[in-house]
Amino acid sequence: MAPHSPGTDQIDTLLWIGFFIAAIVIVAVNGALIYALRRNRGAAPREMRGGRRIQLRVGGALAAFAAAVLVVSLIYTDKARETPASGAAGLASAKSTPLQISATGQQWLWRYDYPNEAFSYYKLVVPVDTTVELDLVSTDVIHTWDVPQLAPQRDAVPGKTNHVVFRADEEGDYRGQSATFSGQAYAAMRTEVEVVSPQAYKAFVARQKADIQAAQDRVVGLIENGEVP
Amino acid sequence: MSASARPEVVVDGFPRRRPRWIEVATSADHKDVGRVMIGAALGFLFIALVEFLLMRLQLAVPENSLLTPVTFNRMLSLYGATAIFLFAIPFALGLFYYLAPLQIGARGTALPRLGQLGLWLYLAGATVLYAGFLFTPSEAGVNPLAPLSELAFLPNNGVDAWAASCGLATLGFVLIAVNLLATMRRLRAPGMAWRRLPVFAWSAAICSWLLLAIGPVMLAAIAMLLIDRNFDGIFFADGSGGAPLLWAHLSWIFFTGAYMLILITALGAIAEIVPVFARRPLSGRGTVVGSLVAIAVIGTLAWMQNMLTAPIGIGWMYFAMIMSLALIVPFGLIVFNLIATIAGGAARMRAPLLFAAGAISMISIGLGAEIEHSMVAVAWRLHNTVDATAATHFALIGGGVFGGFAALHYWYPKLTGRTMGETLARASFWTMVAGTLLTFVPLFMAGGDHGQVVDAYKFFSGTGVSTENLIATIGAFVLATGILLTLVNAIASRTGGARAGHDHWGGDSLEWFTLSPPEPHNFDVLPDVRSDRPMRDIREAIAHSTRRAEQAREAQPVA
Repeated sequence: MAPHSPGTDQIDTLLWIGFFIAAIVIVAVNGALIYALRRNRGAAPREMRGGRRIQLRVGGALAAFAAAVLVVSLIYTDKARETPASGAAGLASAKSTPLQISATGQQWLWRYDYPNEAFSYYKLVVPVDTTVELDLVSTDVIHTWDVPQLAPQRDAVPGKTNHVVFRADEEGDYRGQSATFSGQAYAAMRTEVEVVSPQAYKAFVARQKADIQAAQDRVVGLIENGEVP
Repeated sequence: MSASARPEVVVDGFPRRRPRWIEVATSADHKDVGRVMIGAALGFLFIALVEFLLMRLQLAVPENSLLTPVTFNRMLSLYGATAIFLFAIPFALGLFYYLAPLQIGARGTALPRLGQLGLWLYLAGATVLYAGFLFTPSEAGVNPLAPLSELAFLPNNGVDAWAASCGLATLGFVLIAVNLLATMRRLRAPGMAWRRLPVFAWSAAICSWLLLAIGPVMLAAIAMLLIDRNFDGIFFADGSGGAPLLWAHLSWIFFTGAYMLILITALGAIAEIVPVFARRPLSGRGTVVGSLVAIAVIGTLAWMQNMLTAPIGIGWMYFAMIMSLALIVPFGLIVFNLIATIAGGAARMRAPLLFAAGAISMISIGLGAEIEHSMVAVAWRLHNTVDATAATHFALIGGGVFGGFAALHYWYPKLTGRTMGETLARASFWTMVAGTLLTFVPLFMAGGDHGQVVDAYKFFSGTGVSTENLIATIGAFVLATGILLTLVNAIASRTGGARAGHDHWGGDSLEWFTLSPPEPHNFDVLPDVRSDRPMRDIREAIAHSTRRAEQAREAQPVA
């Protein structure tokens, strides 16, 4: 899965570094183990015990290794946390501050509320090259918003607001799935992020708002005209 | 028989022996309690396996409808509770409870009735969990995260049954830990200083302390959950003074500690087995014991490792990462010393060493992957994917099942007086290795490359994980076959195994000084312990006096 946001770029790099570290550790341990088992089969045992000095050396080497992993991880994690600035092709109104959209997890659907009071379910539409900040909340149980190509996983916990920032670098559809066990239809709780041009985004939220208003007006009209009991 | 006037003592005879199973069920002897615990735990391993296979069958193909979502969620919840509370922890405690008193040269335990109560609480917990089938099992997942586990979202009794079951079992574990600590504090044989304690007995002490720390945390969390559900409590409800993350913190402290407990048990057993089969003393004994203590403390402090996507401060995430990465040092030192012991010795490739080596290998894969998962930014990508499932299973199957089976093969002659079949053990081992790799390596790929999420009852076609999941399902059946072979071996060898000597493997610790199986009072005489290898001292003393006797005989003038 290719990353499509500055944050996930960093995560992806660290993921590969981590993969190689894990692979090296696994190969080293298993290689040493097999070597040890194949060596001296049937030879006479030797009475000896590991000295203190070798223990200190190995412990020191392991500590240095752990510290190196820590430093690398801190560097990339800090980079992944940075809030990127919107690009030139992005939404003009979100140049200085990120575009704020609220994402609400509810069993078993995501709801997105846009700044102009339009809202959508399941599908989130955002402008390309624009920094977007999602405010994650939940109305029932804990959900995790997970669109791996665009953003880090973040939990939506009832009573708390969590934040996730991304800047999609290419138009297209990105799949996501809710990633914390949330009950019966958990596996079906998916989402989709559609990244479009700023013009298309403006058109989308305007149309969405107009459609919602039209639906609202129609319901009010039906009730006031007595067509609905 | 003359009717003489001699006085006659009239007795009714000894009370008739009750049937064997009543004797065992009512016995407070640590060996009976330990054996029942080990047996029950292995039974629940089988049940957990069945549940795991049902889930894997459902996930064999995309959008499968073999199990309904609710059934899958019940299997998931039962599997989690069974594997952790009814298999892994009691199996470790059963081994400790049977062996630690023998290893320290005690004739019994300090508080035998407390340990017996612990066993009964564990069995009561198991009964409550499976009596859940009479109404409804929990549907809240492996760790029933609040608020999903609250009454508003799961109104049937399932979560209550889970809470009661795990609460009873945890209380039982804590009581057994109390007795183990009291025994090890008070009843060590003369000369058995703490520094001479076998590594496995050290594991028993460390795990008991760990349970005293984490057990009450889980009991408190479960009490709060039950209050929330049944008495309108607000501990985990947001907006009214409670906090959903409170459950997450408390439960993860317990589960992370339990994870460490399983690994400490396995590494303690392996550290006992490797020197015996490499025929040389353990390299860096003090380092290994110190590292086990460090794992218990540092490992449990890394509980927020499981909450890296939750709304907690970045500082806490870094704290969790530092604790997790610090574990590289103690785990690395233990693995280094185990491998150094094998390399410096002359390996006798018998079943216990085979399983011990397999355990080191599987644990290394799991913990290697955990290094990657402890990097905060990587966790933001992998945390809730099946990549994490695979890492956890490698570590815990490596520790609990491979390590547990190594211990089972090693101490089986002591427990039963017979040995387990070597051919069947080898077949079981290689099948299990193949099965574990086939099941969980594809899950690394499905989670790492394609982001397949955890605990889901189905996955969708077109997400690129169909092949991986099919292989994982096939692998699960291979793994299950391997585990079954050892369970069959253990059952068949009880009556059909070759008779074992009292010191079957030539071990260095005091459990080999007793009969196999030991008499109720454990030891006729207690030896003076003068080193950390008391059985070797005893063997040498016997050899020495035999030589002396022979020399004395040879010196006799021939008549």
